[in-house]
Amino acid sequence: MVFQSLKMALNAIAASKMRSFLTMLGIIIGVTALVVMVSLVSGATGAVTSEISSLGNDMITVSIRADKGSPLRLEDLDAIKALDAVDQAAPSGSMNATAKYGYSDAMVSVYGTTAAYYDIQGLELAQGRFIKTTDVNNGSYIAVLSDEAATELFNRTDIIGETFTIAGRAFRVVGVLAKDDSLMSGMMSSLSVYVPFTVESRMAGQPYITSISISSANAQDMDATEDAINRFFMKRFEQDEDAFSLMNMSSITDALGTVTDTLTLLLGGIAAISLLVGGVGIMNIMLVSVTERTKEIGIRKAIGAGRGSIMMQFLIEALLLSLFGCVFGLLFSWGILEIVTLIAGGISFAMSPSTIALAVGFSSAIGLIFGLYPANKAAKKHPIEALRYDG
Amino acid sequence: MAADSAPVIAMRDITKVYTVGGEEVRALDGANLFIHEGEFVSVIGPSGSGKSTLMNIIGCLDVADSGEYVLDGQNILQYSGRQLARIRNRKIGFVFQSFNLLSKMTAEENVELPLIYQGLHLGKRKERTRLALERVGLSDRGRHKPTELSGGQQQRVAIARALATDPAILLADEPTGNLDSKTGADILRLFHELHEAGNTIVLITHDERIAKQTQRCVRIMDGRV
Repeated sequence: MVFQSLKMALNAIAASKMRSFLTMLGIIIGVTALVVMVSLVSGATGAVTSEISSLGNDMITVSIRADKGSPLRLEDLDAIKALDAVDQAAPSGSMNATAKYGYSDAMVSVYGTTAAYYDIQGLELAQGRFIKTTDVNNGSYIAVLSDEAATELFNRTDIIGETFTIAGRAFRVVGVLAKDDSLMSGMMSSLSVYVPFTVESRMAGQPYITSISISSANAQDMDATEDAINRFFMKRFEQDEDAFSLMNMSSITDALGTVTDTLTLLLGGIAAISLLVGGVGIMNIMLVSVTERTKEIGIRKAIGAGRGSIMMQFLIEALLLSLFGCVFGLLFSWGILEIVTLIAGGISFAMSPSTIALAVGFSSAIGLIFGLYPANKAAKKHPIEALRYDG
Repeated sequence: MAADSAPVIAMRDITKVYTVGGEEVRALDGANLFIHEGEFVSVIGPSGSGKSTLMNIIGCLDVADSGEYVLDGQNILQYSGRQLARIRNRKIGFVFQSFNLLSKMTAEENVELPLIYQGLHLGKRKERTRLALERVGLSDRGRHKPTELSGGQQQRVAIARALATDPAILLADEPTGNLDSKTGADILRLFHELHEAGNTIVLITHDERIAKQTQRCVRIMDGRV
């Protein structure tokens, strides 16, 4: 019976292709809007989230705001490192200064740190070496440059052993970092120069540690790590929680997730409204179709079609219209997303199965809901009056 | 004939009142009608005499206001719309004046339609469709659409559709009204053949000559039989 109704509905749809297509158009546009918007947002979110996690989800940054008369020194880091939950810890002092080489100069961000920083931040060397513990202990004037900083100052990157000046002091280049293509490096200033912490703190006139990067021993349980560090600093700073602040990459990811979820809901909601309008279009055409086919309904009833059969026939027709619209909409969205991916480069926007399921589910619901009234109207027609109808 | 057997149709005191423009029209006023199995009965009367109403009630398209109607042993009056549809489907085969075939379907599909509503399996449907078309002599026209057939052929398809379900009665409303006299005569001959094969036929007409050819003639006038 269902199969027969399906066949009848298909025939009816095929009988007036142009009208069926125009009826579907509302659903096509609605589904396309829904799928494209949701996929764009989730694609962008995915790209940004993976960038952030590539920066190191196991990293926690602590900023010291007030030292409470007992400032943090390099020796204190050993105590942090000794925590079970902590893998490594490195200070990161920072200052801006002018770097000069020959006739060229550039404003660079100078980071004063220790050897552990390399692993914590997940940096990558193109050549040479990173800062060593002996450099920190001896206060050696050596520097590691980012690829961008090297290019800016020297116009080349094979500069190991060259000497340049930062704020008037001569530094010897011992390493150059690999070029970083990620999105986040594009957002942040990348003219970075890394020098031993002792050197930077002397130059900046800030002998104490104000910022620490810590990597967790267990990246799966960042909350525990955060707790341990929090407890450590609470103790250190006499239970004053305003003296320091913790920042975790996963908390940024969480915040970003909340924002994009809201955005998805908003855009999806707008698209859903256009789907609803498409549903009204289906109802409209189905009503016309029911009136046009009054005679047919009369004949079917006379030869024994019950209300259920007639109802089923028109309901399935409405459902098929909206499902076909949905399929076309999905194909259309797929095309659009492929083009956007091509244009955006790097970020891939793909339809997730859940988005497809959402679109199909929503379209079927709309087809059924808006098909119900016309189908019921058809089913309720009196056979004699329907037979007498001249259309 | 089998006059002693239980009648296929037994109508007692059937009344049907329509309200048209605030005025009551007694389309049927205490009509009584008995038709036995295997009979070929014609119902004749001028237009406005209540023929169509009678046919609608016999055909279970409509329900009488009062009276008793027993079709093939089943009392119809207390039935719901869904049950009426089932009875139309299984017990009654309609043949209309204007054929009433579905123009988008082929002859075969038209004949098959009532069987689909019966919920029969594909194989059985095809078999019955083939037999029904064979009986009306249109085996070779199964794949044609109604618009590709002549009036007489279309009426034959309609008769095949009525026969396909093997109904208790064949109800024909002016089956020759839209046909020229020669094809009309062909159709009547077909009805006679069907009658001889044992079908119960009720033929509604306003044409005396057609009515005379049937086994029994029931006259209806002002809602009375």
